[in-house]
Amino acid sequence: MDFTLSEERKMLQETVGKFFNSNYKNIDKRSENVNLPEGYSKEFWKESSDLGVISALVSPKFGGLGGSGEDISIIFELVGKSLCVEPFLSSAVLSSSVLSSISNPRIDLITDIIEGNLLISFAHSEMNNRYEDHYIETKAYLKNDEWNINGTKSFVMNGDDASKIIVSARINGDVNDRDGIGLFLVDNDQTLKRPYNTIDGYRSTELTFKDLKGELLAKDENALKCIIKANSAGALALSAEALGIMQICFDLTLDYLKTRKQFGKSIGTFQSIQHRMVDMMLEIEQVKSAVMLASSTFETDDLTRDKNISAAKNLVGRVGKLIAEETIQLHGGIAMTWEYSAAHYAKRLIMIDHLMGDSDYHRDRFKLLSNF
Amino acid sequence: MVIKMNFEYSEKDEKFRKEVKDWLDETLPKSLSEKVKKYQRLTKEDYEIFMNNLTAKGWLAWHWPKEYGGTGWNAIEKHIFEEEIIKASAPRIVPFGVNMLGPVLIEFGTEEQKNYYLPRILSNEDWWAQGYSEPGAGSDLASLKTTAVDKGDHYLVNGQKTWTTLGHHADKIFCLVKTDLKAKPQLGISFLLIDMDTPGVEVKPIITLDGEHEVNEVWFTNVKVPKKNIVGKENEGWTYAKYLLTFERTGIAGVPYSKSALNHLKMISKRSLKNGKPLIEDSIFSSEIAELEIDLLAMEIFNLRTVSAAAEGKAPGMESSLLKIKGTLVRQKTTELLRKALGPQALPYLPEQFDEGWNEMPVGPSYAGPIAKQYFNMRKISIYGGSNEIQKNIVAKASFGL
Repeated sequence: MDFTLSEERKMLQETVGKFFNSNYKNIDKRSENVNLPEGYSKEFWKESSDLGVISALVSPKFGGLGGSGEDISIIFELVGKSLCVEPFLSSAVLSSSVLSSISNPRIDLITDIIEGNLLISFAHSEMNNRYEDHYIETKAYLKNDEWNINGTKSFVMNGDDASKIIVSARINGDVNDRDGIGLFLVDNDQTLKRPYNTIDGYRSTELTFKDLKGELLAKDENALKCIIKANSAGALALSAEALGIMQICFDLTLDYLKTRKQFGKSIGTFQSIQHRMVDMMLEIEQVKSAVMLASSTFETDDLTRDKNISAAKNLVGRVGKLIAEETIQLHGGIAMTWEYSAAHYAKRLIMIDHLMGDSDYHRDRFKLLSNF
Repeated sequence: MVIKMNFEYSEKDEKFRKEVKDWLDETLPKSLSEKVKKYQRLTKEDYEIFMNNLTAKGWLAWHWPKEYGGTGWNAIEKHIFEEEIIKASAPRIVPFGVNMLGPVLIEFGTEEQKNYYLPRILSNEDWWAQGYSEPGAGSDLASLKTTAVDKGDHYLVNGQKTWTTLGHHADKIFCLVKTDLKAKPQLGISFLLIDMDTPGVEVKPIITLDGEHEVNEVWFTNVKVPKKNIVGKENEGWTYAKYLLTFERTGIAGVPYSKSALNHLKMISKRSLKNGKPLIEDSIFSSEIAELEIDLLAMEIFNLRTVSAAAEGKAPGMESSLLKIKGTLVRQKTTELLRKALGPQALPYLPEQFDEGWNEMPVGPSYAGPIAKQYFNMRKISIYGGSNEIQKNIVAKASFGL
């Protein structure tokens, strides 16, 4: 049994951590990145590529230098600690996951992503499919040997700036069928875009396709498997990101309890507050344990992988709410302000439960996979 | 080269696990494990059968160093051992002598005390009880009132201890007593060993809310205790008590107990009906089970992380407290859901069914009998051994720097 990181991973953690901190010095710097035209810093994204951060999210089999569950967790815990808004999730995890798990992996495109030259977004979510892997209204049809796509995809992360989009679409069958799904690669210059910022500072987009030509990447069982895997990888990444955020929330709150004085003493001396901090600390240890387990089984069979990821994401949803709400409550008024960083951490922590399956979704999936 | 984090037990660990399991299969009487499984009352002899087997095998003092007749196991081996005896439904190892007093004597006892008491613990000749809590000293243990007055060749002890688990079986009791009445609470306390058959010692049963006799009051009226029965220095007993409290407790989360309760819960939820269908198909109820299972899964990894660090020589500090809190909450939740799973079947209370040999018809399914009783009994675990509130105080004090 060994629960410590290898020397290589410790180095990765240290290097990437320093690099993130040097750019994301404070919450104002983050706001600058959020307010750039693309909703993130292209410069920082390129530097991340040069340093090998994107490569660390991709397996050596597909041109990367990492890509294991532990690599994803290490990087995303740091993404969470800095609240990075760059397209690590959309392009480096979701899209490269699809591109590497199709029958003919597209190493050419993955390499472009790793090198920071190409941004590809994964467009699976729709206004009505909530968190489902298979519920798809967008349609694809074949005409003169060419695939055409019609429909609207919602909540596409970095969908405005990406040059290419991976789209899930229904080739045949009913919207809720598990069969008849296709994955397509399309150019993003012909799509209709409605970009917006999310409440937690990320860039998202509505993308509408009208008879848009696409290249078929996968279909039927293989396509669904790719979607499930990408969504699981995303849920793992977000769980690790949430863990990083929780640790910052805890530290910020503890610091504040030491400095804030009321009734003539620092409020951290009050037992009722100390006990709530212990509850937070304990639940963060629980989340850390669940993320470690999910990371360690990311490359095993699909069932174990998805069961442990669902356990982690369910716990993250529940504990995330606790930590976010307690962080705000224990700070008091100051955490209600836009100016103070804790507010932004709390917001992201809550909104993570609205991405890649919330705690209810993952609890139900855990039940299904555990044969309840 | 990237080396993966490893959540698996090593081959050596697995071999050890098999050795423990095989030994339990071979030596633990089926009639005894059946009693444990059915929550039947255990007699003094029931405990002794198992503990004598452990003595014969050399495994009783599994926490002790080798030179004192212990096993010398590392934290992972201890964890495996504990897991297997629980899985086998063995009676618990009565901890007061071997797990509590033993380590204190090894660390602070005189040679004479070690030579006399340790072999008697190892052979189960002495059944020890713990004399800490008093009616007025629970969480605030240091405010205890039992006095031991120096009378030259002996101490004269007066006072009352309470919650003395299995004290009605005990031959001896180790007590915290006040030897300096003027000193501040934690300073005037001594650690005293008392024979239960000394004149003036009286044991009175306390019947708990589940109708069972497990704990007792122990009264001391002018009890003469030889001065050589003091452990360590006079007025420094608090240090020894604290040493005992912080003594490595890898099993504090009770993961194997909760795991077996969770399996039991799933089994019962499949058999209990709601609207003619198995209760486990009820989405709200099964969701409660699922989130409990997820909490337990995370806690098991948290526990293993702590065990693994302990095996590397890092003493668990606040982790023990955090695991105690979570462990008790998870275990209590299993008993709550078990009780809910039964519906009205949880109501019948037939105390005689917990006696060995009872073979009348139960009301409802045979598994229903002990569930509500067990729910009430398990309320104790977040109170004893330092209540969860005290654990939170310990963590806050140790790690927040407030």
